[in-house]
Amino acid sequence: MPITEIVFYVFSLVMVSAGVAVITVRNPVYSALFLVLAFFSSAAIWLLLEAEFLAIVLILVYVGAVMVLFLFVVMMLDINLTPLKEGFIRYLPVGIVVAVLMAAELLLVIWSKGSFDQGAFPIPPPNPVGFSNTKALGELLFTNYLLAFEAAGVILLVAIIAAIALTLRKRVGEKRQNPAMQVRVQRDERVRLVKMDPEPRQGN
Amino acid sequence: MSETLWDQLIYIVILLLKIVAVVVPLILTVAYYTYMERKVIGYMQLRRGPNRIGPAGLFQPFADVLKLLLKEIVLPANANKFLFVLAPVLSLAPAFAAWVVIPFNDWMVIADIDAGLLYLLAMSSIGVYGLIIAGWASNSKYAFLGSIRSCAQMVSYEIAMGFALVGVLILSGSLNLTEIVLAQQGGLLDWFWLPLLPLFVVYIISGLAETNRAPFDVAEGESEIVAGFHVEYAGAAFAVFFLAEYANMILISALTAILFAGGWLSPFEGLWLVGDTFLGQGSIFWFLLKTVFFMYLFLWWRATYPRYRYDQIMRLGWKVFVPITMGWVLVAAVFSVFGLVVRGS
Amino acid sequence: MLTLAHFLSLGAILFCLGVAGIFLNRKNVIILLMCIELMLLAVNMNFVAFSRFLGNMDGQVFVFFILTVAASEAAIGLAILVVLFRNRRTINVAELDELKG
Repeated sequence: MPITEIVFYVFSLVMVSAGVAVITVRNPVYSALFLVLAFFSSAAIWLLLEAEFLAIVLILVYVGAVMVLFLFVVMMLDINLTPLKEGFIRYLPVGIVVAVLMAAELLLVIWSKGSFDQGAFPIPPPNPVGFSNTKALGELLFTNYLLAFEAAGVILLVAIIAAIALTLRKRVGEKRQNPAMQVRVQRDERVRLVKMDPEPRQGN
Repeated sequence: MSETLWDQLIYIVILLLKIVAVVVPLILTVAYYTYMERKVIGYMQLRRGPNRIGPAGLFQPFADVLKLLLKEIVLPANANKFLFVLAPVLSLAPAFAAWVVIPFNDWMVIADIDAGLLYLLAMSSIGVYGLIIAGWASNSKYAFLGSIRSCAQMVSYEIAMGFALVGVLILSGSLNLTEIVLAQQGGLLDWFWLPLLPLFVVYIISGLAETNRAPFDVAEGESEIVAGFHVEYAGAAFAVFFLAEYANMILISALTAILFAGGWLSPFEGLWLVGDTFLGQGSIFWFLLKTVFFMYLFLWWRATYPRYRYDQIMRLGWKVFVPITMGWVLVAAVFSVFGLVVRGS
Repeated sequence: MLTLAHFLSLGAILFCLGVAGIFLNRKNVIILLMCIELMLLAVNMNFVAFSRFLGNMDGQVFVFFILTVAASEAAIGLAILVVLFRNRRTINVAELDELKG
């Protein structure tokens, strides 16, 4: 068995087990951490598919930013977990039946003869030496998909503004400082020179 | 079949040897970086620093390591044991893993991958997990507050850092670190620190904030929240965090040398008289010298500046650094389009 | 040999796990968001696999856009969640029944 296949099966196994753990563990913090594991293994599998840029971006964006956000929220909110887990057992049979049915249908289609096997999609040769996945993606992104790329930028901007606008709140008793004012301060505003006569000599 | 497997095996063994060849000197450097820190700051404060163990205190790092390893690892009550032990490993692993793409000279690099710069960004962004898990698993308010503070700080400064790197990659036209260095050929004034001066300054200060070092060390501010995310750690587990922090500092120094100061290239390249001698040639010697110089800056700043307040740190990151870097990325693009900075001249 | 079917199966299994997760954790908004991320990951896996086996980079461009949109979705979703928790002290979907109209 060549090494790529071993890598594929190991990471698939890790990924599927992590996926199962995400939906079954009790504590949302563990769920988030298992989701991180799933992202990691999928990045490894994308490397097998020679999509280096996306694999690294998946780690950078998802693991490095989105999941940290999830963890922050999960850890900071003081959630009572017991009512959230009720119904887990009740819906377990339905969930399993639906998931298994769906998976069975999908897998039947995928593995049916002549649809997605080696005959229909022959294994492509590895990319030539010197081929840059990042460069190819960038060339496509900034020519054919330029408009979509700009739209994606606008979506991100909207998301930033929305997230800030939603969570920003004015608090009472907050001590704000204006750095511009602090820097611009003049001597006369802070120091008052008082001219006073010397006290007359005491005693005698 | 067996022959290819055999070849793959040999390949893996050679790869492992290369990794050992990088990691072992790295750990030794960390050990002596702590010694250097204590000596440098000591002399800056008119003290002598460590001077008891060995000549001029040279064996002090080994004594420290021995002490830390012999101490008991205390697991706090109600701490999450598995995550508590996992956290130091998670913070150390990316700090070491990032070194595979660092080119020491034009051929000495473990993995000369195409998207090296992106890989580095990814590695530095997952370093956050060690901290956040350490803070949460300790089941302690101080640790958790410290970890939230350092994580928010690291995530914020990553943006400024990323933008600074965008400037570098616009001028070099490549994500590969070797090509980035080669794009800076031509002596001191052709390195990227000059056309990208604001980004260079932002990058190195962000690096300081990214590693939670003074003057941005509120996360572990000794006088406020004792030691931040690793209050509950002792002995070897603490040593691993320590190792990760110093490995990260050395990494940032090496990266600054590569991205802005010409990596292994010589500053005297092409100069009259010295240009033809050993000094004019690029070599690993120059790379190490530059790295040590930036490492020294870290210590110098620690001895010089008072600690920032937390809201000031965040303001600096978001309202000063991010706009500066975004603006200068545009300037760099103009440089690149109009050919004002020539690659590898 | 690793054929396209292997990668598609992995995507399918992952997608079904996401669906099952939505069934099982229908009370907890955070886990629901995570399940959506899981399903998006499965979709991305299929895109990348097809892109490789068809020799066409457009699939990867799509993954790029999905990542962008999913990141914004997660950010806004979590912001709504935080506001929700501030106002109601709960994130239980069953208790979010204030809306009238």
